[in-house]
Amino acid sequence: MRCGRSGCLAGRPRSPMIDTEENPFARLRRTGFTSERTAVFEYVRPNTVEDACRALAEGGGGARILAGGTDLLVEIRNRLRMPNLLIDIKRVPVLNVVETDSSGTLSIGAAVSLGCVMETAAIRDRYPGLAQAAGSIATYQLRNRATVAGNLCNASPAADMAPILLALSARLLARSPAGEREIPMTQFFTGVKQTCLTADEMVCRVIVPPHSEGLRTAFVKQQRIRGHDLAIVNAAGAYDPGSGVLCVAIGSCAPTPVLLEPVDVHESRGTDAADTVIDRAGAATAPISDVRASAEYRRAVLPVLLTRLLDELLGEEGRR
Amino acid sequence: MTYAIRLTVNGHVETADVPASMTLLELLRERLHLTGTKEGCGIGECGACTVLLDGKPVTSCLVLAVEVDGCTVETIEGEASDGELSTLQQAFVDGGAIQCGFCTPGMIMSARALLRRNPDPSDKEIVEAIAGNLCRCTGYEAIVAAIRTAAERQRGTGGGSHD
Repeated sequence: MRCGRSGCLAGRPRSPMIDTEENPFARLRRTGFTSERTAVFEYVRPNTVEDACRALAEGGGGARILAGGTDLLVEIRNRLRMPNLLIDIKRVPVLNVVETDSSGTLSIGAAVSLGCVMETAAIRDRYPGLAQAAGSIATYQLRNRATVAGNLCNASPAADMAPILLALSARLLARSPAGEREIPMTQFFTGVKQTCLTADEMVCRVIVPPHSEGLRTAFVKQQRIRGHDLAIVNAAGAYDPGSGVLCVAIGSCAPTPVLLEPVDVHESRGTDAADTVIDRAGAATAPISDVRASAEYRRAVLPVLLTRLLDELLGEEGRR
Repeated sequence: MTYAIRLTVNGHVETADVPASMTLLELLRERLHLTGTKEGCGIGECGACTVLLDGKPVTSCLVLAVEVDGCTVETIEGEASDGELSTLQQAFVDGGAIQCGFCTPGMIMSARALLRRNPDPSDKEIVEAIAGNLCRCTGYEAIVAAIRTAAERQRGTGGGSHD
């Protein structure tokens, strides 16, 4: 098919996505999905990670991985994203597994829902902060669809799964035709809604390394209403009473979630570990004003939220 | 391009050829003419389009029809049987838990899933279960009370008519 315009490659078919882009009236009309409208994307449902990867690579920049779809389908509906191919990974068996190996490494498949994380006893008992973070996201209906990996790949600065996974030194197992690599959470986010994933790369698993038996985790979140809402500020921490190491991460206060430099609570004897964390948090964040809160409010609420978090994590130890 | 899908809706096997962009909500309303499920916000915020997908409540506006190939879907139309309201529906009617009625199908489906996983929920558990279903006119008090009443009636009558 020739597109008949100079500047277009002769003989190269034009995708429906480009047609929509070039017609502002079509864009205005197409504010939602309906059955009458032309399909603007195609769909594949691979059964293996290999097939999913191949489809992603072959799809070029126009292909997107579809996990829960609770962010992606809203973006498509609002025409913020116009993929020409969705690759549904929900029926890839290995991506639906939560497992803990003999070393204590926890691995959460990319298609595992937030609801599943909340209901998995191994996670609830071992990392209550992880289950709390999952339970704070959206509603029961959405948690039955939304995934941990999807929450991370959407790369919102307010992603509720990010602070706790940063505090737990998690890694993401990503795969592309070039092979597999493990991405530390600290390197994953590169900006607002941006990650270090290449166009042909998909996240397969979220990996939490082994931690000592006594590790305490917690998650806190400030939101506009008591029901479901995105975070104005969120934070999570992991504290190992044995070694005294306290890791705290903060969301919604910078272009990406931020992991603070760890604090040695044992060494900070005589001083208040909470003060150290609050000082570091102030230095490491740069909140902005948006529809949910002003920068001033975020700066004011952050120390309050961190104090609550540390009360929960340190208990008496924090009040020397 | 369209995709051939096969799914079970309220116990009936249905087949359809759907474009990838069609949502489950559109499939139910426009193709299967099951218009009890409502579209409110269309972005998963309000819960009016809640249906049970393989037994779990989901917002059908954020599920593609093509994704549910091979799955089981339950909608509000599956609640009443032989012209008899379900225990839940009757409790909503008895308790005045319906005013305009737009949120009611979604409320009932969320409550149905709750009573299946927890036949004796506390008020806190009821509130949490319907937190994703917005009501702008009836008021939540009457809805929570109706779900509590339905739970009591179901337990009293050995599980109710649908479980």
